[in-house]
Amino acid sequence: MTLLIRSQAERTAPPARRRRRLSSHSLMGPVMAAPALILLAVFLAIPFLGAIAMSFYRLQLNSTRAPRFIGLEQYSRLFADPDISAAFLHSLGNNFTFAAVVVPVQTALALGLALLVNGKLRGMAVFRTMFFMPLVFPLALVAVVWRLIFARDDHGLLNSAISLFTGGSVGPHDWLGSSATAMGAIIVMSIWQSVSFQMIILLGGLQAVPHDLYEAASLDRAGRWSQFLHVTVPGIRNTLIFVALLTTVFSFRLFDQVYLLGQSGSVDIESTQTMMYQVITTGYDQNNIGQGAAMAVVFLVIVTIVAVIQRRLVRQEGSIR
Amino acid sequence: MTRVRSIKRSRLLSGTGRYALLVFFGLIFFVPVYYLLVGSLRPGDKVLGGLSALVPSDLSLDNYAGVFNRFSNDTTGYVWQFAGVSLAVTAMVVLGGLLVNSLAGYALARMKWRGRNIVLLLVTIMTIIPFEAVALPLYYMLSGQRNTLYVQALPFLANAFSIFLFYTYFLSIPVEVEEAATIDGAGPVRTLFQVVAPMSLPAYATVAILTFLGQWGQYLWPVLMITDTKLRPLPLELSVFQNAQPPEWGPVLAFGVLFVLPVLVVFLIFQRSFVASVASSGVKG
Amino acid sequence: MTFSTLRSTPRPRRRSIAVGGLAALVSVALAACGGPSASDSPSAASNISAGSGTGTLKVWALDGQSAENTAIQKIVSDFESSHPDIKVKMQFLPADSFAKALQTSSPADLPDVLEVDGPQIANLAYGQKIAPLSDYVSEATVQNQTDAVKGQNTVDGKLYAVSMMNSGLAMWGNKKLLDKAGVTMPKSASEAWTADEFTEVLRKLSAVVPNGKPLGIAENNGLSSEYGIYGFSPVLWSAGTPMIANGKASGALDSDTAVNALKKFASWKQFTNPDGDGTAFQSGQVALNWMGNWMYPAYDKALGNDLVVGPLPNFGKGAKTGSGTIAWSLGGHTKNGAAAGKLLDFLMSDPVVSTYTAANGAPPATKTTAASSPLYGAGKPLAFLRDQLDAACPTEDRLTKQCVAVSRPVTAGYPVVTSSFGKALTAIWGGADVAASLQAAARAIDRDFVDNNNYK
Repeated sequence: MTLLIRSQAERTAPPARRRRRLSSHSLMGPVMAAPALILLAVFLAIPFLGAIAMSFYRLQLNSTRAPRFIGLEQYSRLFADPDISAAFLHSLGNNFTFAAVVVPVQTALALGLALLVNGKLRGMAVFRTMFFMPLVFPLALVAVVWRLIFARDDHGLLNSAISLFTGGSVGPHDWLGSSATAMGAIIVMSIWQSVSFQMIILLGGLQAVPHDLYEAASLDRAGRWSQFLHVTVPGIRNTLIFVALLTTVFSFRLFDQVYLLGQSGSVDIESTQTMMYQVITTGYDQNNIGQGAAMAVVFLVIVTIVAVIQRRLVRQEGSIR
Repeated sequence: MTRVRSIKRSRLLSGTGRYALLVFFGLIFFVPVYYLLVGSLRPGDKVLGGLSALVPSDLSLDNYAGVFNRFSNDTTGYVWQFAGVSLAVTAMVVLGGLLVNSLAGYALARMKWRGRNIVLLLVTIMTIIPFEAVALPLYYMLSGQRNTLYVQALPFLANAFSIFLFYTYFLSIPVEVEEAATIDGAGPVRTLFQVVAPMSLPAYATVAILTFLGQWGQYLWPVLMITDTKLRPLPLELSVFQNAQPPEWGPVLAFGVLFVLPVLVVFLIFQRSFVASVASSGVKG
Repeated sequence: MTFSTLRSTPRPRRRSIAVGGLAALVSVALAACGGPSASDSPSAASNISAGSGTGTLKVWALDGQSAENTAIQKIVSDFESSHPDIKVKMQFLPADSFAKALQTSSPADLPDVLEVDGPQIANLAYGQKIAPLSDYVSEATVQNQTDAVKGQNTVDGKLYAVSMMNSGLAMWGNKKLLDKAGVTMPKSASEAWTADEFTEVLRKLSAVVPNGKPLGIAENNGLSSEYGIYGFSPVLWSAGTPMIANGKASGALDSDTAVNALKKFASWKQFTNPDGDGTAFQSGQVALNWMGNWMYPAYDKALGNDLVVGPLPNFGKGAKTGSGTIAWSLGGHTKNGAAAGKLLDFLMSDPVVSTYTAANGAPPATKTTAASSPLYGAGKPLAFLRDQLDAACPTEDRLTKQCVAVSRPVTAGYPVVTSSFGKALTAIWGGADVAASLQAAARAIDRDFVDNNNYK
């Protein structure tokens, strides 16, 4: 991400200027960065090192027993113990499924919406407001509202609506409780809540596409679709990539919706549990801190790998243009 | 720039088709919000009634009265008290975050120092670590600070993603402006706050809004750190009605509305500048 | 001094090692920057003392139903008026964060008196968040506790909590609908429907309810929550198997008996109304509702004379019900044990228990009050539930055909028991293989027990 954005931003500046930084205060750089860096170190990096340390121990919350050093046992269980590894790998799979669906769908939908709300049209402010509203919903509330919408009997809003539109020929479905649709339901509520943020970013990208490119395209008698493909998409390419990267990272963090629904309703845990879900339920609900810490470490390694691979791919493509 | 003309060209649909799509998506996005609002004004047993739950009948403020009556003395805490805590913590995180993260973003974007590249890489990696993954070790580290206001805010002040947003925005500002300030003898901190920050309001607004949205619903950390009623933020109380037997859906939804209302009001007031700011901040790539 | 017995137990020392070890662990991480230190410092000395019997008591109570909250606040202020030299500083905590708050609290944060969820008592005792209280409450208070709650509140022979109320499950029926289908509700546990008879009953009833789903099981409570194990472990007990036998779940929770019983139970999903807002029974859409006593006021109000109550189905070894609920404990580190004991005695006194159980409709957990209860006394509407609770099984691994009320497993490993059972139950209800789900749950529980040296 960094490289992508930096290369783009620097590209816009003349080459000579790029190297001229305000470098006369060489000590001030670290000093200015220090408050944030120290806070990040204390509240993120060091606890994470703590998690790594904990993962080598048998450690229970609310236990009087001394933590016992057990080496890599927590890790070997994650991959070798049939029960634990099955649940863990299943969660990993669910994370990838979620990301594989959400990243393209949410990015595409965000682009579609951005195109829709781009420009002046009577009543546009109202529509934009409608799209933005979900963004202010905390996830705890998202879970409450959508749990009611997905309710499995004909009292559920969705089932009731489907029954109305199909004239009652389609019976009520257990959206959250059935393994076939539970993940889909979570995906829908996640996209509902956050797509407008991506939409705004893309809107910015759209408005920055130089308008003479469109003029040139229309002189070439390019149709609307052709303009979209050959002017709009290349023009917002970097924004699109940024949005996709952002969505990927956040989709791997999926946790709140699944956890909150699991606590209060009948969501199908098997097909919706994620790695963060495993970390939290193992560490907090079953008090098994050591195992939870090991899961967190493996999780972070995997997400870092995904992010690095993504960045590699993007950088290579970027150099072709 | 003739923005309006360019935009007209760039869109695929026009007229009726576009309106139809706008209405369609607008409804999809708005129905859950409307459902929450109407449900909060109707008796709890009417909340789950299929489509009829959307009909605004039997409206009353009883659910809201129920919420306020439920929290009405020192033992239970008060709604305004929870909201006050949430507001105070969120304000600390937003304001403190703007300060420390913009300083770091500026140092990374504009100043040359040893280790800058490594720090940049580390910050990028840290955008990936979810807070939940480190909450337990952090809880052990800070267990002596439980039941304080500041412990709710401290871990969230510095934010790798905010630093990153500032960094990219500052990169896109022409250096000449700052050079002029430097010639006048201003140090980098003064340059940042007197010259660069006023030009970077969109970036500050974006970070402020994102931080606000993220912080307002913070749940896991206060659960671990706060038992004192006086210091509990709003999200911890949402479960009170939901865990009732049977769940009191009316008050749940009323509490939900009270929960999002402040955010929504702020958001609607600043909607225009929010859109403008996110759209024009560094992330446009 | 009274706490000499406590000091002789080995736990305080182990605790100091545990905390010290953890502090060392974290300090490794902290050494790099000198950040805030882990101040959860060990205290090797005995954890509780009697104190002066006066002063301020810190109390944590569960943020429960409004009526309960109001009642408990009134009761506490009455206590303050009758004990002018003791002040009470009480605060409510919401249920879902209460358990976590207790698990993660350091000794300094713990209150002098607190409400605890029954099945968590063994775990909290193990973590020294609560202390044995026989030395601080009066003999009369202890004697007056019913056997059913003593089962829940006793760990390794020591009493860790006293209860004002208990709870119980029953099958609630809508007489109008039952009559329509020609079904009669059994009157006592010994006459309970067998599981097969129950299937037949459901089949008949499905013809007389609007959407063909005559059974309610309060799915909206979430089967993976604590309600799952409370509401449906009676299925196993009634079939004749405990969840944990001889300190192991394998061979008990995953026995053929358990598998067959839960298979039968899951087969009733086709008859079950999802009842998302918990009102289907009140509104006449459901004819039979598998539910706890706490819904009685709402049912009574909605159905009046049409409300009938009977036992849960018998899976072979006698009908069973869950028992146990929130109780009151002494904070594991209180320095004001004497005053705390006075408060507990006051809470367990007849007028207080009567006031409290009148507010929430729960079965009183003291012998004297239960007998005279306007709801649960002899010949009163819910006498049936008290009969069930009076016939208490000693523990879940000592079941007989005659005993009816059973407490959830008393073990320090309860967090993993409830979470594993809840997960399995949810999967089974969702259609997963019963044997495989229970075996996985049993393995998870046993693994945790072994990891923790059986919580010895």
